[in-house]
Amino acid sequence: MDRQFIPRSVQRSSFARFAAWILPWILLLGLGLYAMYLCLAEGLNQTNMDNRFAFGLWIYLDLTVIALGAGAFFTGFLLYILRREELKAVINSAVVLGLICYSGAVAVLMVDVGQPLRAWFTFWHPNTHSMLTEVTFCLTCYLTVLAIEYVPVVLKNRKLRQIPRFLVFEFELHKVMPVFAGIGTFLSFFHQGSLGGLYGVLVGRPFAFREVLGIWPSTFYLFILSAAAVGPSFVLLTTWLVQKLSGKQLVKPEVLRFLGKVSGWMLIVYVLLKTVDTLYWINHTAPAEGAPAYTFYTSPGFGTWILFAEIILLGLLPAIMLLSKRLRERPAVLVSAAFLACCGIVMNRFVMTIQTLALPTLPFDQMMSYVPSWQEIATFLAIVAYGVVLYSLSFRYMTLFPQERDIRQ
Amino acid sequence: MFPFIYEFHWTPVHVVFLGIFFSVVIVILSTLSIALLRSYKAFRKQQHETIQWEAEFEDLPVAARTCRHQITGEIAQRTCNHEFDCRSCAVHPTFLAQRAPVLAPAGKEESVFGFTMPLDRYYHRGHTWVKYEGEGVYTVGLDDFGKRMIGTPDAVELPAVGTTLTANGTGWMLKKERAALRILSPIEGVVVQTGTAQDGWFLKVRGREPIVETRHLLRGEEIKPWIMRELERLQAAVSPEGVGVSLADGGELVQDMWKQAPQVDWDGVWGEMFLQA
Repeated sequence: MDRQFIPRSVQRSSFARFAAWILPWILLLGLGLYAMYLCLAEGLNQTNMDNRFAFGLWIYLDLTVIALGAGAFFTGFLLYILRREELKAVINSAVVLGLICYSGAVAVLMVDVGQPLRAWFTFWHPNTHSMLTEVTFCLTCYLTVLAIEYVPVVLKNRKLRQIPRFLVFEFELHKVMPVFAGIGTFLSFFHQGSLGGLYGVLVGRPFAFREVLGIWPSTFYLFILSAAAVGPSFVLLTTWLVQKLSGKQLVKPEVLRFLGKVSGWMLIVYVLLKTVDTLYWINHTAPAEGAPAYTFYTSPGFGTWILFAEIILLGLLPAIMLLSKRLRERPAVLVSAAFLACCGIVMNRFVMTIQTLALPTLPFDQMMSYVPSWQEIATFLAIVAYGVVLYSLSFRYMTLFPQERDIRQ
Repeated sequence: MFPFIYEFHWTPVHVVFLGIFFSVVIVILSTLSIALLRSYKAFRKQQHETIQWEAEFEDLPVAARTCRHQITGEIAQRTCNHEFDCRSCAVHPTFLAQRAPVLAPAGKEESVFGFTMPLDRYYHRGHTWVKYEGEGVYTVGLDDFGKRMIGTPDAVELPAVGTTLTANGTGWMLKKERAALRILSPIEGVVVQTGTAQDGWFLKVRGREPIVETRHLLRGEEIKPWIMRELERLQAAVSPEGVGVSLADGGELVQDMWKQAPQVDWDGVWGEMFLQA
C-alpha cells in the first residue's frame, strides 16, 4: 500500500510486516514518553539519582550515544573533506545514525536537566569557564547541522522529489554539504573533547582527574580520538546489522573493510595514548592527589579487570583485528572487531561516568551504589526505540544505501 | 560585539569563546541562506528540469551510466559522469576523430534483436528517438524497445503546444498501472504539435536554436550494441533479486512485456530502463 513512497528498484517487506516490526518499538517509545512526562512534571524525585550521585544512566547514555554518533561527522569528514568517494555508500546511513544519537542525547538531557522551557538560558547566561557550556553550544549547533544534513536525504524520497521546489533545494543543499561537513567536524572535535575534559578537570575526583596538556586535560584528546575511532566501527556494525535484518546486501564488502581499516588505525593510536595516559596517571597524577591508583580497584566489582578489558580486550584486540588485512577480509572477524570496539567505548564511558562517581573519594566514604529507577530505564529505552523507528522509516522510504541498486544488478 | 549576552564582559575568554560560537552560527545560517537563495534563483530561471536530470543521473545505477564508447567497444570500461552530455566530455572528441557514427539515409531500418530501429534518426538513452523533418521541426517518439516494455499505456500526458522542452527534461508522461513515468525529451525546443501512440510519434518540436544539439544522442552503428546492452540491463532488472540474470538467451521480446510477466516489479524495471531514480 505504500509502494509509491519506496525508492524504485529496491525491495522492501510488505507494509503489514513492517507495521508488525515497528509497532512494539512505538509502544516502547510511548512508555518512555510517559516516563519523561513524569520526570518533567513531578521532578527528579522520579529518578534514583541524588545530590551525591548526580550523573546516572542518562548521562552515561548521552556520552555513549554521542561517541557512537561520531560516525556521522567522521564519515562526512572523510567523504567531503578528504574525498574518500567510496563512503558515499554509507554517508546517508551515517547521517541518520548521527541524527538519532544526537537528538536522542539532547532529548534525554532535556529531561535530566529539567525545565526545558528555560533551555535558552544557557545561551543568554553562558558560563564561559564551564566545559558544559561549550558542550551545550556545540551540541546545539551540531544537531542543527545534522538536521540540515538529513534534509536532502528526506527530500530525495520518491514522492517528495516530484515537487520541483524540493528537488531544486535538495540539489543546492547537496552542493554546500562540504561546508556543513567541515562545521560538523569542527563542532564534534570540541564537544567530544569537552565531554572528556569535563571529567579530567574534576580535581576532587582523583580517579578521573588528569594533567593538563596545552589548555585541556588529557581526557579531552582521548575522548575525541576514541569517538573518531569507534564512529566508523559503529557505522560498519549497523550496516551489517541492517543487511542481516533486511536479508539484502546493501554495500560492497570493500566499503565495510575500508571503514574497519580507518577504525583500526584510529583505535591503535587511541590505545597507545590511552596506555601512556593511564601509566602516567598511575605513577604520577593519582599519587600526587594523595590517592594511589591501586586503591581505585579494590572495591567489589571494580577490579583491575576493568583496565584490562577496556584497554586490551576492547581496545588493542579489535585494533589488531581491524589492522590485519587478512583478518579484515573475513566478514565475521571484521564485524566482531567492530562490535568489540563499540563495546570498548561503551565501557570507557561507563568507567568515566558511573565508576568515577561510585568510587569513594574521602577516607570515611563508602563505595556508592546506584540502580536506575524504572522511569530512568524507560527513558533510556525510549531513545533506543526512537532510534529504531526513525532508522526503520528512513531505510524503508529513503535511499540510505545508494549501492543497493547497483549490487542488485 | 556581544553586549546582548547577559553579564558579558570584555575579557579574552568571553570574546574568544562567544566569538567562535557566533561565527559558527553565522556560517551555518549563511550557508543555509545561500542554498535557499540559489534554489530560488534556479527555480525562477526554470532550471528545475536540468537539475532534475542531474540529480537523477547521479542516482542511477552504474550499469545505466555506461559511456557510449564502452557500449561500442571502443574502450574497455568507462562510466559517464557528464549526464550523457558529450559536449562537456573531454574524451568524446578523441573517439569521434577515430570513428564518427553517422545517420543512415531516410527509410533505412534495421532489425536489431527483433526490434525495429530505423537508422535515419537519433536515439536518446531514455528510449526516445528524434528525427529532423525539415524547416527546423523535429519529430520525437518512443522507440520500439520502450514501446514493448510499456505495451499500451493507461494514459499519456503530453505537453501543451508552445511548451518549451529541455534536453533530458520531461518530454511527456506515461501512466501504466500505478506507475507514472517521465519520458525524457531528447532535444531542446518548443512543442508545435502533439501526436498519439497510433501516429507512431508523440511530439513535433521546433528547435530554439538554428542548430539543435544532437551530440549527446546515439546514431548509426552505435544502435545495435546499445540495444544489446539494454537487453542485458533489462534481463538483470526483471530477474528475481539475488538470482542475477536468469532469463533464457535467444528469442525476441514480445510486444507487451508487462502483460506476459505480471509478477515482475515493473515500476522498478521501467524506472531503471527509462533512466529514473
